[in-house]
Amino acid sequence: MCTEVPTPAIEPVVVVSNERVAEGVSRIVLDAPRTAGAVEPGQFVHLRISRHADFILRRPFSVHRARDGRIEILYQVVGLGTRALEDAVRDDVMDVIGPLGHGWRVPDGTKRALVVAGGLGAAPMGMLVERLAERGIEVTLAQGAPSAGRLLARELFDNLCSRAIVATDDGSAGLCGFVTVLSAEQLGRDRPDVVYVCGPEPMQRIVADQCAGAGVPCQVSLERLMGCGIGACLSCVVTTRNGLKRACVDGPVFDAADVVWDADGGQEGGR
Amino acid sequence: MSTVDMRVRVGALELRNPVMTASGTFGSGREYADFVDLSRLGAVVTKGVSFEPWAGNPSPRIVETPSGMLNSIGLQNPGVEAFCAGDLPWLAQRDVPVIVNVVGHRADEYAAVAERLDSEQAVHALEVNISCPNVDAGGMAFGTTCPAAADVVRSVRAVTSKTLIVKLSPNVTDVTEIARAVEAEGADAVSLINTLLGMVIDTRTFKPVLPRGVGGLSGPAVRPVAVRMVWQVAQAVSIPVIGMGGITCANDAAEFMLAGASAVAVGTANFIDPTTTVGVAEGLERFCAARGIGRVTDLVGAAWKKQ
Ligand SMILES: Cc1cc2nc3c(=O)[nH]c(=O)nc-3n(C[C@H](O)[C@H](O)[C@H](O)COP(=O)(O)OP(=O)(O)OC[C@H]3O[C@@H](n4cnc5c(N)ncnc54)[C@H](O)[C@@H]3O)c2cc1C
Ligand SMILES: Cc1cc2nc3c(=O)[nH]c(=O)nc-3n(C[C@H](O)[C@H](O)[C@H](O)COP(=O)(O)O)c2cc1C
Ligand code: FES
Repeated sequence: MCTEVPTPAIEPVVVVSNERVAEGVSRIVLDAPRTAGAVEPGQFVHLRISRHADFILRRPFSVHRARDGRIEILYQVVGLGTRALEDAVRDDVMDVIGPLGHGWRVPDGTKRALVVAGGLGAAPMGMLVERLAERGIEVTLAQGAPSAGRLLARELFDNLCSRAIVATDDGSAGLCGFVTVLSAEQLGRDRPDVVYVCGPEPMQRIVADQCAGAGVPCQVSLERLMGCGIGACLSCVVTTRNGLKRACVDGPVFDAADVVWDADGGQEGGR
Repeated sequence: MSTVDMRVRVGALELRNPVMTASGTFGSGREYADFVDLSRLGAVVTKGVSFEPWAGNPSPRIVETPSGMLNSIGLQNPGVEAFCAGDLPWLAQRDVPVIVNVVGHRADEYAAVAERLDSEQAVHALEVNISCPNVDAGGMAFGTTCPAAADVVRSVRAVTSKTLIVKLSPNVTDVTEIARAVEAEGADAVSLINTLLGMVIDTRTFKPVLPRGVGGLSGPAVRPVAVRMVWQVAQAVSIPVIGMGGITCANDAAEFMLAGASAVAVGTANFIDPTTTVGVAEGLERFCAARGIGRVTDLVGAAWKKQ
């Protein structure tokens, strides 16, 4: 039931490709054989983007997919680091610490799963959906984004999910409205054995509440600003019913029932 | 094989090399065990330990700044009993001296932690933190006036025979006054600098990014300030100085030693590269070897000592 946690390591990585895949979102593919071989769905890497910039900290990114010795990251350009990342070209060298954190867990006996992704919340869902499909678990995906042009990884999800339904804020694809409307409907319709959620924290909280109401186990992937990424600096705490936990090593995936929402200030905006 | 003698002394403590970890950036050492062979370090300095458990500050707790970062962790820790039951036994099994960073809201709290740790064989030295800018009561308040600093050091000195290091705040007009005051109360060494008070304001919300407003600045941005303060303090006291602030490589460490530090500590750079400490230790040896320097202690204060 618990995912095994491989030892993290520093791995030099080489950029294979880096391109726009949706409005404001790019995908970078990195040659990273060790990390690609060890990473579990929902885990992340701590990426050192540039050695010669005046920003010094690493940036955490979920591993969207891992295959053939490569990892894929979906990222949104929001600031200094992601702007520098956007400028990376083939053969650039960076390094990652990874794989890090505790990822998604698949409870024994799971037959049906609901995956709820808002915006960049689709990023950690790639490997998850692949894993679930591999195990013959029936996956329904509810995906939300501001507009049709910002729905991520459509092809992958369409291929692997039994159902993929979408909601956009402007109605340019699927339901006009929030993805939380879709998750509520799905929970009512055919009851999943487990629900996986990632996206802006307020949205995760709503889905967690819906799941609690429906009595369905729910896992959320929480974002915090991270310093070390390996459990030492206590920058990334999440308030849980069992005290303060570190998102980088105890998470980023938590059982929603354990999370005390808002208590620690959380992350304004989320992704 | 190099023949540089890398050993240094801090109080009664002999370190195999001058490179230590900076408190709060290296957990208890355990978190870095996948990356660093701890037995290659001069010492491991733990995060701040208080008498009772402390919850720390609300999030966000860090924000990046040009060539540095502000932190407002607020000394979250499980308290001295939990430390002695959890991290300490683990550390005791490693072949490295352990220095425990001690914090409190009042002088008697510092003393209570020190007294509890005095009986622990595995603790080699105490670093009394009178310089944390991230708590309301205690912390930096003790490190910014001579009487308050002297008071804490006196209380701790009375209950411990272990090597006593006092960690100084850079947020003062004259750091040498405080250094002299703690030396007079029996400190065996001083360490500096702790973080510099700073603030970042979010121009979208018109509010400081950190919930407490202020945070502590660390990283390469503070290095020149730290080197200057080590230079001043090393000439003002006769006890050893442990220098830190923005060290990322052996050259940076050498700079601190030339300014008068007998040992150095690596903090924020651990977040950039978790192997930095070992790299600095090895690099410092090469630095000496390349210049025909036989003992690393020959560097100490060489920037101002008359030959
Ligand atoms: C475990 C984990 C997994 C992540 N996975 C992904 C991913 O797959 N794809 C992706 O695009 N992003 C992901 N993020 C968020 C990503 O780390 C940040 O967007 C990135 O660090 C921003 O760096 P920057 O230098 O561009 O922005 P900065 O200049 O550092 O900040 C710009 C703005 O973004 C905000 N910001 C920075 N970091 C975060 C954060 N962690 N959460 C919310 N807001 C933030 C800042 O407060 C600021 O307002 C993840 C974060 C975590 C903790
Ligand atoms: C996240 C973080 C936590 C810290 N926690 C402590 C602490 O608990 N006790 C302490 O004395 N100093 C603490 N410090 C200060 C460092 O030990 C060090 O003095 C300072 O960061 C300067 O060194 P640097 O630039 O190499 O990081 C902390 C610094 C950081 C960045
Ligand atoms: S980022 Fe340092 S403890 Fe999580």
